[in-house]
Amino acid sequence: MIPWIIGTAVLTVGPMAWSLYLSFTDYHLIRGGEWIGLQNYTAIFDDPMFYRTVRVTLLYVLIAVPVKLVASLLVAILLSQHRRGMGFYRAAFYMPSLIAMSVGVALIWKALFSNGGVQDGIMSSFGWEGGGFLGNPSVSILMLVLLAVWSFGAPMVIFLAGLMQVPQELYEAADVDGAGRWSKFVRITLPMLSPVIFFNVLMETVGAFQLFGPAYIIGGESGAPAWSTLFYTVRIYTLAFTDFRMGYASAYAWLLVLAVGLVTVIMFRAAKRLVFYAGEDR
Amino acid sequence: MIRHPYRAKRRTLLTGATAAAALGATAACGDDGPAGTAEDPINISFEWWGDEARAEITQEAVDLFQKKHEGIKVRTNFSDFPTYWESMTTRMAGKDLPDVLNMDYSRLLQFGSNGMLMPLDGLVDTSDFLEGFLDTGYVNDELVAVPIAGNTLGLLYRSDWYGQAEVDLEAGYSWEDYHRAIQDVTASLGDEQWGGGDFAGQYHFMELWLRQQGGSFYTEDGTALNFDKARLIEWWSMNEPLHAEGAVPPISVSSQWAPENGFVLDKIGADLGWDNFLAWYAPAVAENGGTLTLAAPPSLDPGNLGLYLKPSMQLCIAANSEFPEASAKLIDFLLTDPEAIAILGTNRGIPATNVGRENVEIDEVSQQVLDYEAEVEQYLTSPPPPPPSATGSIEVKFAEIYEQVLYGELATADAVDTFFTEAETLLAAEQ
Repeated sequence: MIPWIIGTAVLTVGPMAWSLYLSFTDYHLIRGGEWIGLQNYTAIFDDPMFYRTVRVTLLYVLIAVPVKLVASLLVAILLSQHRRGMGFYRAAFYMPSLIAMSVGVALIWKALFSNGGVQDGIMSSFGWEGGGFLGNPSVSILMLVLLAVWSFGAPMVIFLAGLMQVPQELYEAADVDGAGRWSKFVRITLPMLSPVIFFNVLMETVGAFQLFGPAYIIGGESGAPAWSTLFYTVRIYTLAFTDFRMGYASAYAWLLVLAVGLVTVIMFRAAKRLVFYAGEDR
Repeated sequence: MIRHPYRAKRRTLLTGATAAAALGATAACGDDGPAGTAEDPINISFEWWGDEARAEITQEAVDLFQKKHEGIKVRTNFSDFPTYWESMTTRMAGKDLPDVLNMDYSRLLQFGSNGMLMPLDGLVDTSDFLEGFLDTGYVNDELVAVPIAGNTLGLLYRSDWYGQAEVDLEAGYSWEDYHRAIQDVTASLGDEQWGGGDFAGQYHFMELWLRQQGGSFYTEDGTALNFDKARLIEWWSMNEPLHAEGAVPPISVSSQWAPENGFVLDKIGADLGWDNFLAWYAPAVAENGGTLTLAAPPSLDPGNLGLYLKPSMQLCIAANSEFPEASAKLIDFLLTDPEAIAILGTNRGIPATNVGRENVEIDEVSQQVLDYEAEVEQYLTSPPPPPPSATGSIEVKFAEIYEQVLYGELATADAVDTFFTEAETLLAAEQ
């Protein structure tokens, strides 16, 4: 226990407490600062960049999380069958998630979606005139959504484990009753899987709010093109490490903590109605 | 979170150095730091911004330095201009700057006034600089930076395209003349080629335009912007007609040229820029079968071009450096060793030292730059004071927000409001 407590105190709780304190100061990274009460927090709500970055981040969460989860569930269903070489396929589909958050992949992504890149080439032959996503602010966020979807490994493995847990006799009983594939999926698989779905939704949502690495590499500090990839976290980074406004950046960060906490609470509330635990009375 | 390659390397090197020091200690019984001999060398680091070609010659000069000073090992690193400054500002926060670093005039105060730079008087040899060149290296009356070279703004243009379209840029031409020239040249070119680039996103060019009206970008004390919103609306609307008729490249195209450039890619015929950029672009343009030339920038007033001599690049020693003497030796070597000067050539501009000017090989392109500087010398006025600490961020915001206008995401007036809010906040945060 002791090493764990020291690690948590020094590396997590300590810095968090410090940043909470900083969020009430006008701390400048080089020159220090003074207590200014709630001024940072009130200033954020007057900051036009705040609303922009919130919009970009929410848009990403709302698109990336459902698409990623649906894709990973579908693949998990495919991979839950008992066929030859299934172990290989499972590993192969899991693989991208190991490297997706790396700098190298983000750079490759940039190349794929530049003008005259792979995506532009394929889509142009179908009459697309928007060029590469990289230079087009109305679709650029899709690059990051696709990167997230491509790296569906973690939720997929969890879905796969969940699918394996569904008792086979339920499907057999349904077969006897003459149920089709679709109604078996909707009436058996989904309810039995709902705790796992809930877990994945929660994890992916919390993760999506904090997306930083790929966004920073693809869009840079300026969220290119035209602030369309200026995520909340990128703004925090720029405020803290380019503008040196550590106090203000800390207030930004704490609002993110509050927002993610709020979203989590709402989800747990909703889960009480939506999630079915086997053995529970309904 | 990006891990800077340098950091990782530094860690391993530090571990290695600690191990080596421990070994050394057992052998020498009590050793404080490296001895600076070939067996136990001093390690210093040196970083700059630039491209591969610059890196190659710089490394060559550094290798020569290491050969001549066996007790000093130099680790080098480079990246392009924006990445370089992102890395430096982050590491400034951790007081983890390289021993010798490349400085830009716009960032000097940010680093200098925060105590990040070592005073160079008595450390670096300052006896050989050309007159006036050291003036821009002072912060709070202390010399913290020495110039590698000087430069000034000009108009770089493809004389082959402009000649073909029979467009002349006679000295003293106005901004309207320049606009018309871009339109005419674009009309004479094929698809995906333009007579000029959009220049309104760079604060240096707006500063030039303001200086031509007797103004400046910042107030004298550097605490505020020295122009009103109407001025910026005027500046940012200036190229609207050019975009409307496709005379300049659209932002969705030009934004993807980086890290290359419109000249190198054979896309644009003219752009405002620093005169030493000629050495960078001209060879590539020549490869494309063209000729790149320098002219004075357009002006509101033929008698006032708004130009000043700016150090194109400076060298500094970080205050966190453990080996200032060794670092100073590297700076002296790069600026005053005849062999080093011959290797480095005019890649960073025409050298700022006498021995530099005597030993550098002036090729055709450098001669053009020298001729241009002689031509506009009569127009050079005193440089503005070092821009405020927030300038780096303001420069980035200026470009970023103008991009919103080009993408049609913000109306010009809204963009100007946004810029003023951002700039005022940044300036206030630094006071």
